[in-house]
Amino acid sequence: MTRNKVLKIIGAGAASLLALLFIAWLAWVPFAEGPGYVFVTAWGERGSAPGQFNDPTGIAVHDGEVFVSDARNARIQVFDLGGRFKRAFGTKGDDPGQLGRPMNLAIANNELYVADYWNNRIVVFGLDGTFRRAIGREGKGPGEFNAPGGVGVASNGDLYVADFYNQRVQHLKPDGGFVSQWGQTGKIGIWAGEFNYPTDVAVAHDGSVYVADGYNDRVQVFGWDGKFLRKWGGPFGMNIHGPFNGWFATVTSIAVGPDGNVFAADFYNDRVQKFRPDGTFLTAFGTPAAGPAHTAIAVDVADDGTVYVVNYDANRVEKWRPRE
Amino acid sequence: MKRFLILPLLFFWSLAAFAAGTQYTLRVDGLACPYCAYGIEKKLKQIEGVEKIDVDLKKGIVIVDVAEGVALTESQMKQLFKDAGFTYRGMEKKPL
Repeated sequence: MTRNKVLKIIGAGAASLLALLFIAWLAWVPFAEGPGYVFVTAWGERGSAPGQFNDPTGIAVHDGEVFVSDARNARIQVFDLGGRFKRAFGTKGDDPGQLGRPMNLAIANNELYVADYWNNRIVVFGLDGTFRRAIGREGKGPGEFNAPGGVGVASNGDLYVADFYNQRVQHLKPDGGFVSQWGQTGKIGIWAGEFNYPTDVAVAHDGSVYVADGYNDRVQVFGWDGKFLRKWGGPFGMNIHGPFNGWFATVTSIAVGPDGNVFAADFYNDRVQKFRPDGTFLTAFGTPAAGPAHTAIAVDVADDGTVYVVNYDANRVEKWRPRE
Repeated sequence: MKRFLILPLLFFWSLAAFAAGTQYTLRVDGLACPYCAYGIEKKLKQIEGVEKIDVDLKKGIVIVDVAEGVALTESQMKQLFKDAGFTYRGMEKKPL
């Protein structure tokens, strides 16, 4: 075989590979279809005084107030929409009403639901900080948890809990009674309806349940009737992570906006990604990490579309507005 | 009189010195995520005799202080880190 022939074969192989990569890029790396977001303001720094944080990990926005999980300080802090401190509640411990490591938050029917990762329960407070009740206990049985990371609340009060180390999402009645679960307890899986350390759940207005399937680097969606609907995140939505549009590197929080669009905190990529309910990628935004950790760990959306993002690395909350 | 005061003080100091525990430095990957770091802390604090846990994200280490008479073993740590979703890399220890 002559040198020229070898070079031709190598050249053809390289061209084919490039063509395949280009096709794969077009197939699995979508272009932004929505307008971007602009940074408005931020508040917070490391510490334990009011307005300071030591590992913020969750956020919920409701009726002009921003509730933030301040994990290592074992408390919830409340701010107005401009970041002015209003109040704090919760103390460190495992007695009723106390907190271990509060993570993702949800608000429904004027109550705040806190996923307590260390105390293996969902703690429910009034919005003024009054302790109401706790749901669940440590274990792997029905209605029990091993490090709940987040909770979504349906319009009828039913709960959907991301049961992190049990590798499942539990559907519970408002009093904690077990209804059903997705995923096999304690077993990691990458196929539809299986989980790899789920971190959070959000329930849409139509009753659809969106799950942040953390280390599967994807979002899974289920119908109000429990049926699996769809999944997305990288090629085939099955634990292929990356920094591209529509791909994830650990999903740590999920929220549904007022228009039904879905916002997911893409932690190791330091950004929030926005999707249509069908999974179509719309846009992404965020702040690069300055320290050893990463930034976008939790997200929620106000009624006017303003997005509030917890920056874990910088111990602060960021406010983002849709670009005009 | 002074001698009588010094002797008990020395006695209690020596008791404190001998009662000192051990500090373990555990090496682990992926500590940048709090879900992982808290999972490790949660499992470590369930071990009787563990007095203090510090996570150093930058160095990727977990520093654990244990009481006198308490020892962390390689096999115990391997299992604990496996349960927490990590690969155990190794540990060093020194007296407190």
